[in-house]
Amino acid sequence: MRHSRLAAWGPLLVVAAVAMAIYLPLVVVANYPLAARTLARGATLPCDSALACTFFLRNPVLPAPNQLLGGILALSWPPGAPYALPLNAWWTAIETVVGLSLAATVGFLFAVLLVLSRAFQLSVLPWIVASQTVPIVALAPMLVVLLGRYGVQGWLPKAIIAAYIAFFPITIGLAKGLQSPDRLALDLMKTWNATTFQVFMRLRIPASLPFLFTALKVSTAAALIGAIVGEMSTISFAGLGKMLSENARASDVVGTWVLMLACALLGILLIAVVDLVERLVTPWRR
Amino acid sequence: MATLSPAVSDQRPRPGMAKPPIAALVLCLLGHLALVAFLLAWWREETAAPFAYRLLLGLAVAVGGIGVGGIARHLARHQLDPVRAFVPALLTLLFGLLALEAVLRAYAVPPGLWPTPSAVFARLWTARRVLLADAWQTFVLEAVVGFGIGVGWALPTALLVARCPFLQRGFMPYAAAFASIPIPAMAPVAVHMFGLGWPSKAAVVAVTVYFPVVVNSVRGLLEVDRNLLDLMRSYAADERTTFWRVRIPNALPFLFTALKLGTALAMIGAIVGEFFGATGQGLGFRIQIEAGRFGFDMVWAAILVASLLGIAWFGLIAGLERRFTGWHVSLRE
Repeated sequence: MRHSRLAAWGPLLVVAAVAMAIYLPLVVVANYPLAARTLARGATLPCDSALACTFFLRNPVLPAPNQLLGGILALSWPPGAPYALPLNAWWTAIETVVGLSLAATVGFLFAVLLVLSRAFQLSVLPWIVASQTVPIVALAPMLVVLLGRYGVQGWLPKAIIAAYIAFFPITIGLAKGLQSPDRLALDLMKTWNATTFQVFMRLRIPASLPFLFTALKVSTAAALIGAIVGEMSTISFAGLGKMLSENARASDVVGTWVLMLACALLGILLIAVVDLVERLVTPWRR
Repeated sequence: MATLSPAVSDQRPRPGMAKPPIAALVLCLLGHLALVAFLLAWWREETAAPFAYRLLLGLAVAVGGIGVGGIARHLARHQLDPVRAFVPALLTLLFGLLALEAVLRAYAVPPGLWPTPSAVFARLWTARRVLLADAWQTFVLEAVVGFGIGVGWALPTALLVARCPFLQRGFMPYAAAFASIPIPAMAPVAVHMFGLGWPSKAAVVAVTVYFPVVVNSVRGLLEVDRNLLDLMRSYAADERTTFWRVRIPNALPFLFTALKLGTALAMIGAIVGEFFGATGQGLGFRIQIEAGRFGFDMVWAAILVASLLGIAWFGLIAGLERRFTGWHVSLRE
């Protein structure tokens, strides 16, 4: 057991170490000219040689690990402060999760219609599929302004944008899932004289769950992008997107890097949560 | 268009063609004619239409909707060639656009809230120079160049990782984690590093495309049927022959899946990247600026251009996929 765990973590740690070993000289090389110029200008820095100063520049080209660490600490404590990462990440996570649930609900209705009616499928499905290749995120700034006109404000419009982006993959995934039981199983339901409703409840919906979760995992990242862009495109008081646009305006380099890491972590966590829910909801798959 | 409509519906079509659905055709035609008549009558008016007009309009939308639905239901009952299978979708789009135009005009919805389709198409024409320059910046310089760089780096990486089990355990988890970085989080960092011009957006696109292509290609190179490998062994084929004859062909469908996903990611990356700073050009820049001053006809026109480019690009990759992996199960009829 211990051996296998070592075998799993060993390569990861080695690759991380190699990446670090490349990153540190890169920081020095990238920041050296700027550090030399800053020192020559006579700025007050907590260091005396240009080489040492590559790790302490206020606006570095590449932030050094110690600066990133300092940035993370400065932005996470206290966790409830309006500028703190945990609070803002929490709101973005809420928007994304609400959006995904909304998308799953509406997507389910569409999927049932698609499966029940070939006419509906012929009329609508080509547009649903085509719209998957459309950069839907481009709609976000417009949707926020539009929803704001109708008095939908706060976290809800961002959740709606997240839902809108996640809607198409989820609909297609659910429709395929509802369609996935084979002919034999459907015929068996028929011999039992099951109604369409019973077929859905007992056979189709359970069969569609794995497809739903596959689609959810794909669209979680997209929904997170939607929530963040939604927060950026309007007046927001909380959320990682708000922090991003504020930081981009203030051009606080260390801050943008810390935010990038935070967004990545949130994306990974959300997908892990979807994975966990999948295991709880579809225990027979394991 | 057959590829655009995978059969998910449960109803099985019957072969052959029955008599045409006269009633549905008449209703559909009536609805369309009524909408066109209203639009012609109300084209130059700026105010909301009187109640009687709006009532008639509602009736026309209902009648036309029933007609379109009837035609779709009639066609759905039969086995269709791809062209005729696309008729309901086309009818729905046409009718939807006409109805939207008529309703927006009947209620005199201000263009700052929701522009009419005709206003969008008119803007598409009058602003064609601006939009073409934007599309050049966003699509060619940012999306396509970034995509090329990303794929160009991803393929050697995938080959290296597939040859080296150590990297499979040490690198792939990181690749999967990096693939889940939201694009907008990378954009400010890239803009700061590479400036406001197109290279920063191309860098974002390259990074977003890189990871899915690596992950999928590695899967394709490794998830090879054991029987095939055994067969190659029984032929006494060397490593290199196995690689070229078995692993590469096996990886192609995976690669093309990633490339198709990559086209969408590249468009999103280029557009979202421009939200964080651009040099006054680009579809994303245009969308953000115009949405901020309620120029929604321009916003929609820019979205339309981006969508058409995205669909054309996706279609190109899908065509290449059919050309190079036509033997694969998923593409055989």
